[in-house]
Amino acid sequence: MENKRIIENKKQFNLKQFFFQWEWMLVAVFIIVNIMNTSLSPYYLSFSGIMDASMTFLDKAFMVLPMVFIIILGDIDISIASITALSSVIMGVAYNMGLPMPLAILLALTVGAVCGFINGTLIVRFKELPAMIVTLSTMTIFRGIAYIILEDQAAGKFPEWYSYLGWGYVGPIPFMLIAFIVFAVLFGLLLHKTTFGRSVYGMGNNITACRYSGIKTDKIKVIVSTLMGVMAAVTALFLVSRTGSARPNIAIGYEMDVIAMVVLGGISTLGGKGRMLGAIISIFIIGLLRYGLGLINVPAQALMIIIGIILIIAVTIPNINLDKLTKKKVAA
Amino acid sequence: MRNISKFREAGLLAFIFILCIFIQFKNPSFLSLENINDLLTNTAILSILAVGMMMVLLTAGIDLSIGSTLALSGMTAALVVSNNPELSPIVAILIGVAVGTVCGLIVGFLVSILGVFPIIASLGMMNVFRGLTFMISGGKWVSAHQMSDSFKAIATSSVLGINTLIFIAIIIYIVFYYFISYTRTGRQIYAVGSNVASAKISGINTKKTLLLVYTLMGTLSGLAGVLWVSKFASAQGDTATGYELNVIAACVLGGVSVAGGYGKVSGLLVGALLLGILNNALPLINVSPFWQNAIQGVIILAAILMNALVKRHATKENLMRRKI
Amino acid sequence: MSVSEFILELKGITKIFPGVKALSQVNFNLAKGEIHALMGENGAGKSTFIKVITGVHSPEEGEVYFEGHKVNFKNTRESQKLGIAAIYQHVTNYPDLSVTENIFIGHEKVSPVTKRILWNDMHKRAKELLDSVGADIDPKVQMGTLSVAEQQIVEIAKALSMDAKVIIMDEPTAALTKTESEQLYKIAEQLRDCGVSIILISHRFEDMYRLASRVTVFRDAQYIGCWGVNEITNEKLIYAMVGREMTQLFPPKENKIGKEVLKVEGLSQTGYFADVSFNVRQGEILAFTGLVGAGRTEVFESIFGITKPDRGKIYFEGKEVTIKEPLDAMNMGIGYLPEDRQKQGLVLQWGIGQNITLATLKDISKAGWLDHKKEADVAKTLAEKVTVKAVSIFDTADSLSGGNQQKVVVAKLLASDLKVIILDEPTKGVDVGAKYAIYEIMRELAKQNYAIIMVSSEMPEVLGMSDRIAVMRDGRITATLEADGITQEKILEFAMLEKK
Repeated sequence: MENKRIIENKKQFNLKQFFFQWEWMLVAVFIIVNIMNTSLSPYYLSFSGIMDASMTFLDKAFMVLPMVFIIILGDIDISIASITALSSVIMGVAYNMGLPMPLAILLALTVGAVCGFINGTLIVRFKELPAMIVTLSTMTIFRGIAYIILEDQAAGKFPEWYSYLGWGYVGPIPFMLIAFIVFAVLFGLLLHKTTFGRSVYGMGNNITACRYSGIKTDKIKVIVSTLMGVMAAVTALFLVSRTGSARPNIAIGYEMDVIAMVVLGGISTLGGKGRMLGAIISIFIIGLLRYGLGLINVPAQALMIIIGIILIIAVTIPNINLDKLTKKKVAA
Repeated sequence: MRNISKFREAGLLAFIFILCIFIQFKNPSFLSLENINDLLTNTAILSILAVGMMMVLLTAGIDLSIGSTLALSGMTAALVVSNNPELSPIVAILIGVAVGTVCGLIVGFLVSILGVFPIIASLGMMNVFRGLTFMISGGKWVSAHQMSDSFKAIATSSVLGINTLIFIAIIIYIVFYYFISYTRTGRQIYAVGSNVASAKISGINTKKTLLLVYTLMGTLSGLAGVLWVSKFASAQGDTATGYELNVIAACVLGGVSVAGGYGKVSGLLVGALLLGILNNALPLINVSPFWQNAIQGVIILAAILMNALVKRHATKENLMRRKI
Repeated sequence: MSVSEFILELKGITKIFPGVKALSQVNFNLAKGEIHALMGENGAGKSTFIKVITGVHSPEEGEVYFEGHKVNFKNTRESQKLGIAAIYQHVTNYPDLSVTENIFIGHEKVSPVTKRILWNDMHKRAKELLDSVGADIDPKVQMGTLSVAEQQIVEIAKALSMDAKVIIMDEPTAALTKTESEQLYKIAEQLRDCGVSIILISHRFEDMYRLASRVTVFRDAQYIGCWGVNEITNEKLIYAMVGREMTQLFPPKENKIGKEVLKVEGLSQTGYFADVSFNVRQGEILAFTGLVGAGRTEVFESIFGITKPDRGKIYFEGKEVTIKEPLDAMNMGIGYLPEDRQKQGLVLQWGIGQNITLATLKDISKAGWLDHKKEADVAKTLAEKVTVKAVSIFDTADSLSGGNQQKVVVAKLLASDLKVIILDEPTKGVDVGAKYAIYEIMRELAKQNYAIIMVSSEMPEVLGMSDRIAVMRDGRITATLEADGITQEKILEFAMLEKK
């Protein structure tokens, strides 16, 4: 047995590995979507058009970022749209009751954080319950509270400057897009460059091993859930800014879109796999697809179907074991 | 500790009893024959769906697509009826059931054969079915005047003096009770949810079992869709949006374990009834309808957490019995 | 050659797994109405042998006769049909279903016409079966609410419901208390008197003395011998089981024992262990041995903060400490190498480097930011130190052999700044070469004044490596012995025999 063995610690560049990445597939789809849109509608390919379009789908994109963390952890959170509704309603009501707008915004973010914290705490305290079931019930509760507060009313008449959030431009670029890019970079760095992100990946692959390695797994789960809540509130800020009023029934079904975007981005619901970049590309794929189809008057409902099918295909591809299928045929 | 399930049903019944007295005290019309009939008719659809959901939950799965399946099959039946006013209501029901069955089969195929997680598969199909509902209706409603009287009569007529909806629900419960308690296939559903690995060793075809439960869930959703449309005399694109949660809530309240393997028909019935009473009675005692969501959510959460705590306690008791 | 004398006979069975001979030319026979004990150390081949009998594995060589006829089972159902039932150590059942249903699953009683399940008949029959083994269990209760002992009795009833002629019991008393074991003995005797044959696998001598008429011993996949129970002695039996020469080499001791680092007093956890007290000193290797299931792992998981002990005190360097979670223990300087390296030790999908630094992310980062260069250097140094056989630190953990995986987990421990290192079965499933490397590392660490606790079921390494030996049995420490001059026989006595 040789005692001195040299172990390489520099990464070799592997051309095959480099090209066999889900993200390249997404880039290809992204390009196809754009070519398709351009050929379908002559109005599609204009810079200002696309910039405008981005504002219509970026509100939920803020929730995609923390959802990537949650799904990498192997959990799921379907209460997020309810958190958006609740924090927007509380913000609106607080403002209408005389709280200055900046404080109302702060309040909305706090509400989001508290909701997320509750989710996270329940999930780590009741490990025998699937995250799905826990957030299913808090989903009903959070939106339920929003209904109690505002019934079927709307809260609004926000100050002029607040609409800048959802409608304003910095030069030719929407403020919302800039805000999203900033958040995306922050979350991307957090996931890929920090010990926190490393722990999240580790927990998604093998939470037991992480616990035995001294990682505070419960704490990390609670933090991630809280971040999720905060970002749901950020979505509320932009969404309400665009619609002009806060209602208990806003953002219904957003959780579905958000999960679809994350899963399409190559993040496995089994946990431990996937990258932020994939999820970000898929936000734009779905967003621009919707915009393009809207231009040629394809109804929004058709898009629901498309997204549903894309979601299922995206999660099925890794599940199909070709060997197994062929073997079964032989056996039958 | 060995009689948890009896205890919890008795507890729920006691709770229902006290709740009824309280409501009756507040509003004497609550226990009128008319209101009880109304309450049961409203609960009928929920409890039919709960039957299907219980089977799905028994296998440790979940089906979020049933609200959409219900809407799609209801809409299909309504459109057919509005174009063919002479059509027999039986045929309308069969159409709805057929659509629902196909929907269930698709979800079941994804879950059992392709191995997609139930939550993702049903979430995806929920979108697809909902989209289809909008597509086939062109975004329009099918309203009361477009439906034949015979079709609307499905929900208002009565069989043997019992409202048809209630009658159908009773029949389904009897059949289901027999199926799940007295047939091998029914018991295999429990076995798969309780211990998949053992089930495979015992020679149970787990994939077939999964396919079956989701298909049955679809069939029942299809039936519920027609009944729903007939009862409310309108079919809309957003019919029963989010209704899957009520159904899951009824199951969880009835003591069906979301981790699979455990659940009783009697419990299910009590759970559905409690939810039905809450829905019916809250408006009667002047609780704003806007409170209903939150109250329901809190009750579901409490029920789930209590189940978990009771189970923990049982495990601990078992350990205590080991003397060292 | 009167074949009919035995209900079950196996001749010259050889079973080969990739790279390992799990059974080599072993023989076994079982008379009608006999309880026959099968003994041997962990890894002697008993489990594989049982799986050959039940048809889970088919042997490469040898013949199986059942009631005088040559048989060749392809799966468990074929063996079940003929009347062979196995009751495994880890009970496999449906915790949510009733006792009756657990007994009858797969062969329910149904009405011949309607195929309706006849619950009343089944409950009645279940009650009869349970009564026949003298167990007072309500067949209608949920299986999961029963104790392990009761569940085992239900499994026996299940075997009887299928008219089993041969019942294999794999470590039936391992998880049972004394009174529970006594009940099981009675049931087994009763079955024997009714003509059922039983193969009893057990580490406990009292089980064998109490029940069996003959005992067969396996050692290192070989058949050693078969004796009548009344013609054998403890010494003879232990020698047969251990038997081998101490051929294995261990690196020489070079350690000096210093002052006490960790002391544990009266540690208890309901259902797992009770009144565990011991201490370990600088430069010392303390072995914790005993049978599987004696509660050793549970003790150290509670010390490391994975679970919570119910009672007891832990002192670290003389001060009483509370450890709420693994990080507390690690910050203090206690490291733990878990028993199951694949589930608890490694992120298999990850590279060696990331695995090594997982427990010490703080050291390879600044204010939370990973320093990939530093990580690569740390990982490389440690991986080379423990001599992992790999090309690069980016090789994934699941591509390594068991021994090299274990070296990676050891490297992960070494990345932390530790004073006490707890190694739980460090050489389990590790090849000889890697074993020696791990022993060398342990010696080196002891020399550097680390206090080392080694949980191990392997007698040679317990004897060859340790300075002191604590023996556990049924959740309690039965002896703490100085390693000098001790014999395997002595240790086995404390681990297996009940104290009078």
